[in-house]
Amino acid sequence: MNDLPRKCIALVGLLVAFGACDHLSLAAQAPNASFAGVIERTRPKIVKIYGAGGYRGLESYQSGFLISPEGHVLTVWSYVLDSDVITVTLDDGRKFEAKLLAADPRLELAVLKVEAQGLPAFDLGQSVEASEGMRVLAFSNLFGVATGDEPVSVQHGSVAACTKLEARRGTYETPYKGPVFVLDAMTNNPGAAGGALTDRDGRLLGMLGKELRNSLTNIWLNYAIPTREMATTVEEIRAGRFVAQRAAPDAPKPAHPLTLDLLGIVVVPEVLDRTPPFIDEVRIGSPAAEAGLKPDDLIVFVGERLVPTSKALRDELERIDRIDRVKLTVTRGQDLIEVTLTASDAEN
Amino acid sequence: MPQSQSSQRAVVRSVTLSVSLLLTLASAVMVRAGDDLPAREERAMTKAVAHVAPSVVSIETVGGAERVEGMLVGSAPTTGLVVSADGYIVSSAFNFAQAPTSILVAIGDGRRFPARLVATDRSRMLVLLKIESDVPLAVPVAVPESELRVGQWAVAVGRTFEGGHANISVGIISALGRIWGKAVQTDAKISPANYGGPLIDLRGRVVGVLVPLAPDRTGEMAGVDWYDSGIGFAIPLEHIRKILPRLEQGKDLNPGLMGVTFAGSDIYDELPTLSGARPNSPAREAGLRKGDRIVAVDGHKVERLAQLYREIQAHYAGETIKLSIERGKESIERTLTLASKIDPYRRPTLGILPTRAASSELAAADKAKQPSGVGVRWVEPKGPAELAGVQAGDRILAIEGQAVADRQALADRVADSKIGSKVKLDVLRGDKKLVLDVELAEMTGEVPEQLPAAPAAPKAPEEERPPVGLVELEDAGMSKGILYVPENYDPAVAHGLLVWLHSGDGLDREKLLAEWRPWCAEHDCLLLAPQAALANQWTPPDVERVARAIERVRDTYTLDEWRVAACGTGSGGALAYALAFGEEHPLAAVAAIHARMPKEPTAQEPEQRLSFFVVSDKDPATQPSVKQLRAAKYPLVTRQADAGKPLDAKTLEALRRWLDALDRI
Repeated sequence: MNDLPRKCIALVGLLVAFGACDHLSLAAQAPNASFAGVIERTRPKIVKIYGAGGYRGLESYQSGFLISPEGHVLTVWSYVLDSDVITVTLDDGRKFEAKLLAADPRLELAVLKVEAQGLPAFDLGQSVEASEGMRVLAFSNLFGVATGDEPVSVQHGSVAACTKLEARRGTYETPYKGPVFVLDAMTNNPGAAGGALTDRDGRLLGMLGKELRNSLTNIWLNYAIPTREMATTVEEIRAGRFVAQRAAPDAPKPAHPLTLDLLGIVVVPEVLDRTPPFIDEVRIGSPAAEAGLKPDDLIVFVGERLVPTSKALRDELERIDRIDRVKLTVTRGQDLIEVTLTASDAEN
Repeated sequence: MPQSQSSQRAVVRSVTLSVSLLLTLASAVMVRAGDDLPAREERAMTKAVAHVAPSVVSIETVGGAERVEGMLVGSAPTTGLVVSADGYIVSSAFNFAQAPTSILVAIGDGRRFPARLVATDRSRMLVLLKIESDVPLAVPVAVPESELRVGQWAVAVGRTFEGGHANISVGIISALGRIWGKAVQTDAKISPANYGGPLIDLRGRVVGVLVPLAPDRTGEMAGVDWYDSGIGFAIPLEHIRKILPRLEQGKDLNPGLMGVTFAGSDIYDELPTLSGARPNSPAREAGLRKGDRIVAVDGHKVERLAQLYREIQAHYAGETIKLSIERGKESIERTLTLASKIDPYRRPTLGILPTRAASSELAAADKAKQPSGVGVRWVEPKGPAELAGVQAGDRILAIEGQAVADRQALADRVADSKIGSKVKLDVLRGDKKLVLDVELAEMTGEVPEQLPAAPAAPKAPEEERPPVGLVELEDAGMSKGILYVPENYDPAVAHGLLVWLHSGDGLDREKLLAEWRPWCAEHDCLLLAPQAALANQWTPPDVERVARAIERVRDTYTLDEWRVAACGTGSGGALAYALAFGEEHPLAAVAAIHARMPKEPTAQEPEQRLSFFVVSDKDPATQPSVKQLRAAKYPLVTRQADAGKPLDAKTLEALRRWLDALDRI
């Protein structure tokens, strides 16, 4: 008699629990639905851009996205825009001749304007930050596969790294040296540059960059330039205040740079292109001698930069003024030794 | 009554408990329902990466080669994974292909340490590094291989971008047991950005270490062309843990070899039935031989060659395996220790040339039940036979007490013996029987200074014999080629065959015949001179055509298989090499004049006679073909002569003496 209610309650509990599980599995199916909604809302903000090119393997199209209801379009600055006629095709298939308001070759971006009103657009002020592991959507017309009113392609991936392009000199040959979001999806293909990168909720993270190869590893990089890096420039362009600056590949070199000679270091002769900078001789009484450097030490870092070759070491010193202090890191057997030294006054 | 009361209380308690449980469940569900699966997965992945990140190190290298296997190698930072608290780090061998001068490791907190390369696993393309850290390093947890499921989330982690953060790529496990059972496959983007780093599960445990691999090649660069393709590989950390003690001792691990050969090329169709066991190999030492069929390795059944290959790939050189073998109706078991390399076969020699007997003579001796033995035409000055007292004109009747019926029996016995070992020869000199001990030396193939003529049996040309003199080749493919058969050709005498593969100047019949006709007649040799199908340049399809032509000559005339040689200049020489190293082995010797070797030489087999005469215009020792033939230990003669000119008289004489000494034992 007493057993019965207990069993009933247990049964009810079980039923509710099952119901809850059911609910959970519904939630598990939701992502597709939520992605679908986000994609549907975001796609109308992306445009297809047509201009110069179409020969010698150069595509005559790229991607862009609307950043105002009045028809401002943000895209990458490229040869495609170097044309008398730039055509922008909206998501609904409407075609406009676009006006190039201005371009910033340093950031490799350009703002176009089409004459229309009430367009769906991203708000650059509402953009969010990405972080490693964040799942993202990339919207672009890669390979020009979409035409007319066909919607652009959507790719899904994750942010692989938040890093900088300028860090290692010569690694990436691009005028843009700054923060990027590296992606683990193959987003940066022909025609994709200028596309939009958003988070799972369709919030703008950045603009897809051009195709770019890492010259050290020879692998292609998929990346986007963060919105925050572009916002000010875009604002200035829209306000008509923008003054274009030439791309500056690197900081200017000092007029009187540091040399190995000034430090009192002689490295081993460069018999190969990749001769590592082993110290051959340390001149007596020199700053290097005072700092305790010895023959056979291998110089591996100047400041925070790796110098894998004697040439890289010389290049790096050329960027340092001889009146500045320099930090050298050397390996000596199994030890890593850091020294700080300044060029000798006598020779200054 | 009190009893009932207490029961009632129990019911109430249980109801309360159930309700509170329900409430907890419901609230949990409510939280989750408001938060979608991608968000939860994203959080789980970020957490997993953060969990493993302290064990993921960045590696920078200084110095080393600029190119490896012809590819430019970068000096960009790469990734490694900590495997012990005291500073052992595993990475991909790809990252060290250039053999750097100096290696620097930056651990999770950014501190740098010099590292040394302790050992390399050349089967799974991993390296072990060691740093001397003053604090214990974070050691990751391995996912048991049995827990891995295809389709589960997998995140690839590297540490190669500026800023020192871990970089990630999200994917799933695509397959297990790939690359002959060695690797887990993933569709995460695997590239130099994360080679050497871990592939992790959603709990931050390590599935394996990322490496480029290819199913059909080995080497540091194999599989790099699949970077970011959606096909990436990781070597399970569980496996790495097992081999760690050996690597820590500085022992390189190499793929294990048995030294067996198989006929046929389709490993998924072919039965694991041996076509031979290589000399100096573990298989030969374990007594494996032609015809043996391997049915199990360590108790694991193998039915096809591919399965056997997979079983062997699981092991390293130095490990012992147990083979179950079917030999005819017998079942036998053998254990053998896999080798990292198998020394090439070196052919032992007595240093004699046998007399060339007509088949009728041999038949007569056989009929008279006399041991015919092998007549000695010539003994090599200071060669093993001469040093033991063998003289030209002797007859070798037995070796190690076993009667020799013919030169093949003698040669087989010699080929199977060891260089430096002594063999007992029963020799007939006049009517005296002698027993001589000969210490076998290595056959070098060097050309004799002078040779006595090889007196063949007296010619008794029969009425019925195939055409002699200049024979036109009717074969459509060989329409312009010629065959010269000496007018004194006797089908009872085994003849040599010289296959002449003309130079880029084309086939000059008159010149060729003027140069070789008398020599061929004197030395019982046929001359086959095909013409290239395409102008004067030999092309790959000619390999098959020339092989067919040789086969036709063999079908029609009595050939001495030991004296079938091809002599080619330029692309003709390349063709001769291709024939010699082809599947059908139609040649016993190759004379290559100013020619490139189109493919790697095959390994030398005791049963298969093959020797070389190489002429080059530069120092022969520097020629790649000579280096390769030397490495494979083939009998080899080299000469230097100007390219673009006909062979000088001295070199031509040497070539002819070499051709006349091809049947040496």
